[in-house]
Amino acid sequence: MKLKTKTAWTGAAFALPALIGIFLFYLIPYCISLYYGFTLQNEYVGFTNFAALFHSNTFWLGMKNTAIFSLIAIPLAVVIPLLISLFLSTFDKHTSFFSSLFLSPLIVPIASVIYVWQIFFADYGVINSLLQKLGLDPVAFFKGPWAMALVIIIFVWKNCAYNIILFSAGLRKIPKEVKEPARLDGANSFQVLTKIVLPLLRPTTFFIFLLTVISSFKIFREVYLLYGKYPDEHVYMIQHFMNNNFYNLNYPRLSAASIVLSVAVIAVMLVFFMAERRSSV
Amino acid sequence: MKKRIVLILKYAALVLIVLMFLLPIVYMLANSVMPTKEITDAYTTSPDHYASFHLIPDRFSLEQYYQAFLRRPQFLNLFWNSVLITVPIVIIQTVVSIFAAFAFTKLKFPFRDALFFIFIILLIMPSWVTMVPNYMMIQRLGLLDTIWSLILPSAFTAFGVCLLRQYMRYVPDETIEAARIDGASTLKILFRIVLPQVKGGVAALMILTFIDNWNMVEQVIVFITDEEKYPLSVALSSFSSSDPGVIFACGVIFMIPPLLLYLYHSKEFKNSKV
Repeated sequence: MKLKTKTAWTGAAFALPALIGIFLFYLIPYCISLYYGFTLQNEYVGFTNFAALFHSNTFWLGMKNTAIFSLIAIPLAVVIPLLISLFLSTFDKHTSFFSSLFLSPLIVPIASVIYVWQIFFADYGVINSLLQKLGLDPVAFFKGPWAMALVIIIFVWKNCAYNIILFSAGLRKIPKEVKEPARLDGANSFQVLTKIVLPLLRPTTFFIFLLTVISSFKIFREVYLLYGKYPDEHVYMIQHFMNNNFYNLNYPRLSAASIVLSVAVIAVMLVFFMAERRSSV
Repeated sequence: MKKRIVLILKYAALVLIVLMFLLPIVYMLANSVMPTKEITDAYTTSPDHYASFHLIPDRFSLEQYYQAFLRRPQFLNLFWNSVLITVPIVIIQTVVSIFAAFAFTKLKFPFRDALFFIFIILLIMPSWVTMVPNYMMIQRLGLLDTIWSLILPSAFTAFGVCLLRQYMRYVPDETIEAARIDGASTLKILFRIVLPQVKGGVAALMILTFIDNWNMVEQVIVFITDEEKYPLSVALSSFSSSDPGVIFACGVIFMIPPLLLYLYHSKEFKNSKV
């Protein structure tokens, strides 16, 4: 009994620094923001702040663009690495050298490489000079719907790298003995892929999907470095909305937005986890 | 013969894929060894002068590096800001996470699983949610516009604990029990038995935390008003408009710390499988 209480104390002591940090900077102030969310000048106002938030056009613009970005960029950043690592798995050797090269977009800082993107995609940039030589019309990559396309391209470029490594590791774990009998039974490569390899790759895929979702939350960095504080309306993300309210010090609105968004993120994640659980049973 | 052609085509495709990932980086490296005049000539564009694809330098020169290191004191200041922010975050995050992950995986204490659930929820929270609570606490502590406003919230994230817990789960309980019966203290068990088995996880945590915070943007532009305290991850882009001639060398220099850290740990990192 005595030993048990002693280990309990050590366990709590070891976890304590992390817990203090999390409570101090995340949990306690989140509760404070709950208070701000439901008050105006220290007076309880019910859902007034939330109603004001839902009437804000810029909030919905940020939500819309963030949703469009996520729905296109995340599937691309999962499927393209899957295809590439399936392709890599057909080689017998040498791929480990290449896969270490694939990590470089992850290691190179965003700010370092952003200038190359600017030169490539500027109005009078490298890509447009190429298009002009081919007799095609130039494309304004920094304005209109193309601005979002450019952000998606950069996101996929950056995140493919690490996902290829993870997929390749997952593929290597599938033993040959599983695939051979099916092949002997007359299954073609496509059937082996869809009936055996992909189902076995499910856990890896789900993990990679989750990682990609988390990194998609950080796309604001690229958008900010490319377009600055006040971007084209096609790439105005939810982080821009939050930042603008920070600059106005609009606490009630910030708190309301933080609460709504945290609930939304949890709801979306719950749906994914439940879908994953149901389909794997 | 047919097999051979397929193989050649496959290798061609492989090289093409690798090129697509490497081109922007190779382009930056190649342009960093051009004289500043060659850069400004090539990329000062107008409707009748498009930028051209310029990969091979006309003349090799280290002028940009010379300029960045010796003629741009503000560049080195901004670089130093990045170091001052990132290094403490990596150290705090790693040490705190090692202890907490060990406690959450191998030790027992009251409310352990409920508390860990908080970490999982926090792990998936984007900056657009967490920056509001961060701001409220930083402001109450009077830390706004100091580098601590960037260091403290980022040093205590759920990421490190969740990542290391994944690795520590595979450390067999028998080895820990055996050491305990031999009279080893919990601290000794952590450092002698557990840590050597999760080296890859610690390496991955350090590399990923370093890269993430070396790229910090969103907190900087809200929590810091004095632009002299900005790290390079934000300030480099303003540099590019005021001083385009040296931007490629600045970008390469900025890339060196994460690259060195990665190369130092690359063996453990690549062998680390979650």
